[in-house]
Amino acid sequence: MTAPLGRMLRHEWRGLVADRTAWLVLGLFGFLVAYAVMNGATWNRTQSRTLDSAAAQADARLAGLRQALDSLPADAPPPGPFGRDPRSPASVGGRDGAQYTVLPPGPLAATAVGQSDLLPQYFQVSMRSRQTFANAQEIENPSNLLEGRFDLAFVIGSLFPLLILALSYNLLSAEREQGTLALVASQPVSLGRHLLAKVLVRGGFITLVAIVVALVSLAAAGVSLTGPGAPARIGLWILVVVSYGALWFAAALAANVVPRSSAANAVLLATVWLAVVVVVPAVLNVVAKTTHPVPSRVELISAMRTASNDASARGAALLAKVYGDHPELAPSESVDAGEFMSRTYAVQDEVDRQIAPVLARFDEQLVRQQQLAERYRFLSPAVVTHAALTDLAGTGAPRYRAWLDQVLGFHQQWQEFFIPRAFRRQWLTPADFDAIPRFRYQAEPDSAVRGRVAVGLLGLAIPTVVLLLLAGNRIRRFEVAG
Amino acid sequence: MIRSIVIKEFREMVRDGRFRAAGAATLVLLLGALIVGWRSAADIRAQHADASRTTRENWINQPPKNPHSAAHYGVYAFKPKTALAFLDEGIDPYTGVASYLEAHAQNEFTNRPAADASVLQRFAGLTAATVLQILVPLLIVILAAGVVAGEREQGTLRQLQSLGVPPATLAAGKLLGAGAALLALLVPAAIIGAVALAAQADLGSAAGRVGLLALAYLAYFAAWIGVTLAVSARAPSTRSALVVLLGLWMLNSLLVPRATTDLARRLHPAPSALEFQRTLAREQQVDETGKTYEQYEKEVEARVLAQYGVDSLSQLPVSFAGISLDASEQWGDRVFDRNYGKLWDTFAAQERVRSWVGAVFPFLAIRGVSQGLSGTDLHHHRAFSEAAERYRRYLVKTMNDELTEKAAGKDFQYVSDVAVWAKATPFDYETPGLGFVLERRAIDLVVLAGWTMLALAAGLAATRRVTP
Repeated sequence: MTAPLGRMLRHEWRGLVADRTAWLVLGLFGFLVAYAVMNGATWNRTQSRTLDSAAAQADARLAGLRQALDSLPADAPPPGPFGRDPRSPASVGGRDGAQYTVLPPGPLAATAVGQSDLLPQYFQVSMRSRQTFANAQEIENPSNLLEGRFDLAFVIGSLFPLLILALSYNLLSAEREQGTLALVASQPVSLGRHLLAKVLVRGGFITLVAIVVALVSLAAAGVSLTGPGAPARIGLWILVVVSYGALWFAAALAANVVPRSSAANAVLLATVWLAVVVVVPAVLNVVAKTTHPVPSRVELISAMRTASNDASARGAALLAKVYGDHPELAPSESVDAGEFMSRTYAVQDEVDRQIAPVLARFDEQLVRQQQLAERYRFLSPAVVTHAALTDLAGTGAPRYRAWLDQVLGFHQQWQEFFIPRAFRRQWLTPADFDAIPRFRYQAEPDSAVRGRVAVGLLGLAIPTVVLLLLAGNRIRRFEVAG
Repeated sequence: MIRSIVIKEFREMVRDGRFRAAGAATLVLLLGALIVGWRSAADIRAQHADASRTTRENWINQPPKNPHSAAHYGVYAFKPKTALAFLDEGIDPYTGVASYLEAHAQNEFTNRPAADASVLQRFAGLTAATVLQILVPLLIVILAAGVVAGEREQGTLRQLQSLGVPPATLAAGKLLGAGAALLALLVPAAIIGAVALAAQADLGSAAGRVGLLALAYLAYFAAWIGVTLAVSARAPSTRSALVVLLGLWMLNSLLVPRATTDLARRLHPAPSALEFQRTLAREQQVDETGKTYEQYEKEVEARVLAQYGVDSLSQLPVSFAGISLDASEQWGDRVFDRNYGKLWDTFAAQERVRSWVGAVFPFLAIRGVSQGLSGTDLHHHRAFSEAAERYRRYLVKTMNDELTEKAAGKDFQYVSDVAVWAKATPFDYETPGLGFVLERRAIDLVVLAGWTMLALAAGLAATRRVTP
């Protein structure tokens, strides 16, 4: 006969409550979770402010131009090719009406900064070449980018396992060293159950701390937990945290069932942690970068220069060049200027055409790197977890890529709307204004996110099961007195 | 007697299977990182040299055109890779690689290499610096946590004391033994690093930086050995020594650096790019005293007329277009100096937060010293950016002066050729000397030295007062 699990859990609970170190670990962890959420929420607010301002500016530009068009007298002289005029396609489609294509933050953006501090979250798109916005970047101290941010995804991905290991590296070894394990074994209690009770109490408690503190802090930071899409994502977030925690407890179990000193266990588990969280991702990164190297940006810059020199040499005249640099100098009714306009677009088009394959190569190689990172992420549960957490936060790579494709599509739409009109010198009418394409981010269906996260969960569950089976197999041969 | 203690410690470590495994793994990673870093630095250096040549050729080969058109055409400045960047790439992946130097505008360095990499980049870069800063201290902790605590557990400490081994000798021997084992590991890596360096740069010119860098890392490791010894001597068991040390290691190399990022951002927030550009655009129109650009232009015009004693611009013996463009550059330069200056100062203030936190957690100190000596920190980036901006102003001014002097009556119809393009000397940049690093990394260097001395003293003191 063996003691009921319930009583064993109560016993372990009492042990945990009496353990000052455990409280220290849990308290520290709770504090870190709360601090990380606060950081994430602050970042999210800063970013939302910028993005809202960009979106508002884009709207205001078109509205202002539309108003200017409406208030233009019917007999106003026709606009010059470079003048700022609400009727001129070059003016509205160019700088004056340029649009910001904003990637709105997801409902749980405060939980993971991801790459949102490095990659631009909005572009200013006009009828000019893609190159005019492809270089956009957010202002940030490069040292900050290098160190990374202290967000919830970091706390869960890197610190949570360490604290789990701190609570569980000596589950059996300590009892063995103190000699109490032999006493336990003399009771009608199986060693497996004894260990299980320990793990359940510790694991349950620290995971609960993670989840409760995170949710309370999010709510306190003003993040809506009941907004559209949020509850399902929170549910998945909890699943990811539980699965990741379970994996690390399983690792601790597997280390504990081999009779070893507590010190040796600590060393072993710290090494495993280092490999999973630091070394494997770093090595994967090197592999991804060397197998799919992106072309050199520096060479791209030179290539673009050459392409535009060649194109300009074929088309541009001296006068027109100066006027191109200084539109305000251009006489408003110059025929040359009108011709120059066409030439400018012809040159731009030519450069774009020549550069397109090189730019495509950057995109392709980056996608390949990302695919490699995605395929081999299962080698490091920390990468799996990071991918899942950023996915749920809306700061992951797949969402960013999808948005980038939409931006490029919109740019093309915008060019197709304005460039032919500019060539034809066809003035914009109020009806045209209503037909101007607008950027609206098309969010991917939640099911796509769920699908990707489910794969990640599987990637966490499989090694957990394997470790547990190994541990279960091994524990039968465990020598309680060493 | 100290010799036999050192030899005993050294032998015990080297014979330890764990030391061999962990040491071999660390060495493999270190060498891998050196090779990868060296290759990529060499590639980038070649590309940048090539691109710098091309941009100069493009400049020289411009067809005849107006000098101001040439200033618009401009050149690119490419960020050079320093000789030691292969050891510590520092912030290089996160700074743009090139800046477009043209008339009217100061452009930022764009094209951050990290934006062309997957999110894996953000976990940790595999560089020699990462291995030395993060992995080697872990190795020290794991291997040396039991140096005193272990002897106590086995009862050999009592034995040693009964033999009359002076505590000071024991302590020094333990320190040196652990250090010797570590050196056995690091010396081969250092030799390979030196060879790699010699293969791509003049060792003589980098000698000061290299020597100080080696010293800094040795000091950092010595600090870790000292801390480990101190904890090991006080801890009741190897287990508790390990737990405390692993906790310190985690705090130092993992938790604090990131937490400091958010702290620094909170204390010294930088504007968003959108805000920054808006401020620039606004200040281009109206300066801080409320003077508009139009008013400024009128003042310039009046001043020039008075200076030449004429009534109208057409009577000027020089081109007013050139003068006006030059004046507009000066107006713009003040706006750029003010705003970019503020931005750089914000970043520098964020770095200072790091340095002060580094006083408690020496990881930030060694990181700053290592990046500084490798020439890959924020200060070097700023120095280069400012040099590029100075060159931009020089280039544009050369063109505007040409216009002013030669284009009287012709203004934008005036055409120059290669003789004028060649007047502007090419952009040449020298990485600042050792003094630059010492000045900017003074806090970090002092902190590192202080830490090392304190840690060694604590290690020795704790071992001397050890109770069996």
